[in-house]
Amino acid sequence: MGHGELLADYNDREAKALAMGGQKKLEKRRASGILNARERVDYLADPDSFLEVGLFGTSSVIPEDRDKTPADGKVCGFAKIAGRETAVISNDFTVKGASSSLTNMKKIGHVKKTATKRGLPIVFLGESSGARMPDNMGSRGMGALLGNDPTQYMRGRETPWASAVLGPCYGSSAWYTCLSDFSVMRKGAVMAVASPQLASLAIGQAVEPEELGGWEVHSETTGLIDAFVDSDEEALDVIKRFLSYMPSNHNEAPPRLVVPAGSDTASASLMGLVPESRKRVYDMHKVINGVLDCDSFFEVKSRFGRVAITGLGRLDGRTVGVIANNPLVKGGALDAQACEKITGFLVLCDSFNIPILMFVDTPGFTIGMEGERQRAPGKIINFMTALQSCSVPKLSVIVRKSYGQAYLNMGGGQNSDQVAAWPTAEVSFMDPAFATNVVLWGRDEKAEPEKFQQVRAQMEQDGSIWDMASSFAVQAVIRPDETRQYLMRMLEVHEMRITGGIGQHVLRNWPTTF
Amino acid sequence: MTDVEVKSEVTGTIWKIEMKVGDAVDVGDEILIVESMKMEIPVMASIPGRISKITVSEGQPVEEGDTLAIIEAQK
Repeated sequence: MGHGELLADYNDREAKALAMGGQKKLEKRRASGILNARERVDYLADPDSFLEVGLFGTSSVIPEDRDKTPADGKVCGFAKIAGRETAVISNDFTVKGASSSLTNMKKIGHVKKTATKRGLPIVFLGESSGARMPDNMGSRGMGALLGNDPTQYMRGRETPWASAVLGPCYGSSAWYTCLSDFSVMRKGAVMAVASPQLASLAIGQAVEPEELGGWEVHSETTGLIDAFVDSDEEALDVIKRFLSYMPSNHNEAPPRLVVPAGSDTASASLMGLVPESRKRVYDMHKVINGVLDCDSFFEVKSRFGRVAITGLGRLDGRTVGVIANNPLVKGGALDAQACEKITGFLVLCDSFNIPILMFVDTPGFTIGMEGERQRAPGKIINFMTALQSCSVPKLSVIVRKSYGQAYLNMGGGQNSDQVAAWPTAEVSFMDPAFATNVVLWGRDEKAEPEKFQQVRAQMEQDGSIWDMASSFAVQAVIRPDETRQYLMRMLEVHEMRITGGIGQHVLRNWPTTF
Repeated sequence: MTDVEVKSEVTGTIWKIEMKVGDAVDVGDEILIVESMKMEIPVMASIPGRISKITVSEGQPVEEGDTLAIIEAQK
């Protein structure tokens, strides 16, 4: 072949590969408002920055499939996102349902290996039916296709991973979502171990996709996904936003941004957010937003374990991880779901050198039958282990109540690098109302109302923060309106100078979906 | 007309009922308060509409998930 012919052949092959699963399937997607695999990459990447690998890969298992499997159904490569190099894997559902087979698994393996070795974040855009059939069938299929990469599902958190669930996600698309540091789901998409059809065959009952693994299941019951949106574009925007808080890898500090104008004026009324009655509730989101840089709070798992709030944000332009109780929901009493949510979030912060801010107002851990059956004792102590293993700066602010074991879990004592309290803080082992009954066990309040009242009043007074300040068990009592300035200075004091901003990453292998 | 059940998120005691049958509600309006863990937990309307039934009385113990009131959704 002459050069001209070679180039014409190249162009022909390239066009076939870029044509994906064909016009008909692509038009159908377009009509329903869903982007295709390549449009998703284009939307995510800075203009003309996508550098593809494996464009000419095809099925290498079934000879007849070779011409029917452009890029073997998974688009892989490297793209600049907001100017930063990122590895991208985008499942092309129009090619055999983006099912996994020999070539595309090698492509993913290559991109992952490169990202891990060179310190790049990875974005997985999930939409896959699972293992390709019949490629994976039989002992020959299993022997040839599975188990070739002993690091395939190993998570060491060398670099941040973000996933989007943008259609049916079974098998590997589900696994990568659960391995990721952040995940977003488009409403209408489904994530499950296997497809509803397969589940129906296995159990002999009709299975509804949304019931199996739709957004309501994952936002409220499993907590396996962090954010939920209405369109592909919004999902990709949310991934870009997540990455904006993250370093490219664990040996970098997160990027520092310019502080938006107006950030210093929002916190003037913080004290007024806390009701004067110690029994009334309020929304801790308002405190968080009053302290952080304007519009910087990015909440994760907002519908799961709602008694606690977790999210990334910026303070003085620096990325911080916020962990807070929310008295508005169940009085802020910590339950098993909240413990799981906080533990997973601690892993993210510790792995990527993100300082932690804690805002505390909790009457303690929820006690009762339900929690015990959800393994609350185990979850509480996992949360505690994770907190004590974190080597990033931990700054805790006691806004109001901090009781018992929850005092320790929320960074009390030496479990933070710095504990400050508002004058509204009250710290004790349990609520004085309960403690009075314990101390006066066996006596009748109706018979001795004054005695009960006297003991309760003394305990309430003992819970005020000043005895703790006096013994230096908190390092500062601050005016609420000074919280932002105080935390900004403390972040500076606690910069990890000795290691150039890098933590020890003790939690890097923690299985967050455990 | 759709009826929406207002449920308790916590186990506790009905401390105060702040609305009555027939009252119009908007999202976030406090219908009643449950006392739990010595805290007053407000129970709020999740949809705009009208209170068509209150199924509990003050001082009554409730379990998590119990129905407390019914809102007739606005058309």
